[in-house]
Amino acid sequence: MKKIFAVSLIAVSVLLGASGVFAETPEELLARVDARRYVPDLSFVLQMTSFDKDAQVESNTLWGFISGVGTQNKSLIAFADPASVKGRRMLMDGNIVYLLFPRTTNPIRLSPLQVLLGQASNGDVVRTGFSQDYDVTSLTDADRDGVACLKFDLSVKAGSKDASYARVALWVEKETLRPVYAEFFTGDKLLKKAFYKSYTEALGKDIPFVVDIYDGDNPQKHTVMEYKKVGQKHVAPTVFRRDYLPSWTPEQPR
Amino acid sequence: MSRIPVMVAAVLAAAAAFPRPLAAWEGQALLDVLPTAALAPNGASSSLMQTETTEVTLQGALSHTQPIAEGLSLAGTMWGMADTLPSQTPLYTPPSKIDLESRILELKLVWEAVPGTLIVTTGKEVIHPSSGFFRTPLNVISHGALGNAANISGSAVGTWEEGWIGEDVTVLFGSFSLSNFFSPRLPWGSGTDTMLRWISFPQNDWQNLTRLDVRLGEADIRVLGLLSTGGPGTADPDLHATFGAGVDTNIGEALTVRAEASIADSVSRVVVTDDKLLLSASQTVSWAPRALAGFTWTNKDQLSIMAEYYYNGSGFAGDDYQNLIRYTQNRHGTGADLMDQFGTFSAGQHYGFARISGNIGDKLSAAAWTQMNLQDLSGLSAIVLTLTYDRWTVNASLMDAWGSTDTEAGLSPLLWRADLEVSLYL
Repeated sequence: MKKIFAVSLIAVSVLLGASGVFAETPEELLARVDARRYVPDLSFVLQMTSFDKDAQVESNTLWGFISGVGTQNKSLIAFADPASVKGRRMLMDGNIVYLLFPRTTNPIRLSPLQVLLGQASNGDVVRTGFSQDYDVTSLTDADRDGVACLKFDLSVKAGSKDASYARVALWVEKETLRPVYAEFFTGDKLLKKAFYKSYTEALGKDIPFVVDIYDGDNPQKHTVMEYKKVGQKHVAPTVFRRDYLPSWTPEQPR
Repeated sequence: MSRIPVMVAAVLAAAAAFPRPLAAWEGQALLDVLPTAALAPNGASSSLMQTETTEVTLQGALSHTQPIAEGLSLAGTMWGMADTLPSQTPLYTPPSKIDLESRILELKLVWEAVPGTLIVTTGKEVIHPSSGFFRTPLNVISHGALGNAANISGSAVGTWEEGWIGEDVTVLFGSFSLSNFFSPRLPWGSGTDTMLRWISFPQNDWQNLTRLDVRLGEADIRVLGLLSTGGPGTADPDLHATFGAGVDTNIGEALTVRAEASIADSVSRVVVTDDKLLLSASQTVSWAPRALAGFTWTNKDQLSIMAEYYYNGSGFAGDDYQNLIRYTQNRHGTGADLMDQFGTFSAGQHYGFARISGNIGDKLSAAAWTQMNLQDLSGLSAIVLTLTYDRWTVNASLMDAWGSTDTEAGLSPLLWRADLEVSLYL
């Protein structure tokens, strides 16, 4: 079950984008990379499948919506599949996470580690609000699988205490500014690798509909996250409150 | 004739306009097989002998959520159970071979009058403000668990519980939320309204529960007040008040902590006046507090440790507690059972709980927990193995009561209990 929480964090984070405008400084260029993918008030159906070698370990389908970017994101998530977890609802407010089981009314508060167990730190790996949480320490040209890329070396901003990774290396396709690959570090230790795939035009943005995240220690383990449906849903800020969770009726994006 | 396709199209268009809900139907069926051992009087003699039996229960619940319009939905849960031993002890066998029970647990209309801000819920619903695990001082209007699937995890809140019929209004603003739940008195006689027992408990009091929740930094703080009365002409026409407060928060990456307390203006209890003659008397305790403090710690290896302390202000201590122990020793199955008057394993004032759990593999998890009476150092302990698949889970558990014969758990008629539980999900 804890892996499910973890995987859901992935969902939340992968939906995050950062806003920005095109400019030539590295920071503003990074903001534009984020802005190309960021959909405000995104609602989604997301399937997440974990693998060990080629064997599927588990698969979950989540419905939800998200507001905000980077470590400031807030999201409501409902578990739609499999049946054993169907109906569970989760509120993620930055580092504070609540879980509500079906037929109960008081959401349980989880610690960040309870959420981030197993594949969980994937959620932080795919946190796409790069420009909000990270400073650019260097920007260089790089080639990746024959594609001309820009490589951003990022370090966490002093004010982003909730960001889980001290350092990120991000490869962005030069022509399209699409992230194609990223490495996430704590100190010098590589924790996660992420591959951004299946870019699709939706809601006026260029969204990677598949993100494949590999464990830094064990490359046999990876989690594939795939959007099945996306939309936009504007909600009042108060829906991201613990006391709203029991009243929330999850619905598919329209 | 041409109007029919137009009408069908209009209906389909209207249906399509509604959002497709998640979990339109949810179901769970649960089969429990529970071998149980207990001490029973040995015929006419005063000695006790061990007796064993196996209880088999089949429980099922079906839930449905139906959006009616934007911000308006209807949700309900129906529960039923077939039980071969509803007393859960071989000392009390049912008159028929299988005892049947059913309830509407919840049936409520939820209306977001102002989206995300003003929520009105009308109907039957469960209200659980407590963050406690093995005891829940802030669940001041809880009916308690239905069925027998509650105690595998050591949790005070069972898998299924029946709610209260009433109206709840919640306002969310800024970091605050204010809720008021009003529940009317709905009494009925089990002898006259026999059909109602398949649907609902009676509601013997008027109740009004007000809750205020606020987020301060990373901490959630809640306060509540409950007013209740049976009203004029009832057995308890007085107005009673219960107040409570609680807080829970995270400390660092691995720790969540919680503390809460409630206090009631009066709590009834039965005290032993003569333990040899098995005499007792009713007593009212004024402003008896209940309090809980605890934490959950999790490490990076998926190991989770939980510990809680519970204080029961209306429980017994000192001479009253020793009188209760001797009364129970002398009772031998006769006279009233005063030990469980506050619920199972709650007669004393000080209790502790600890639980450790973790994953053994991708599908298998394990947990062990113990509850201890800190006054006499007796307790209940259990180990649980859980196998989880997409559409079903299997729980295997073994619970044991331990302590000397002058302790609460040692005097429990329950010796041990095994449980094999299979859950199927729709």
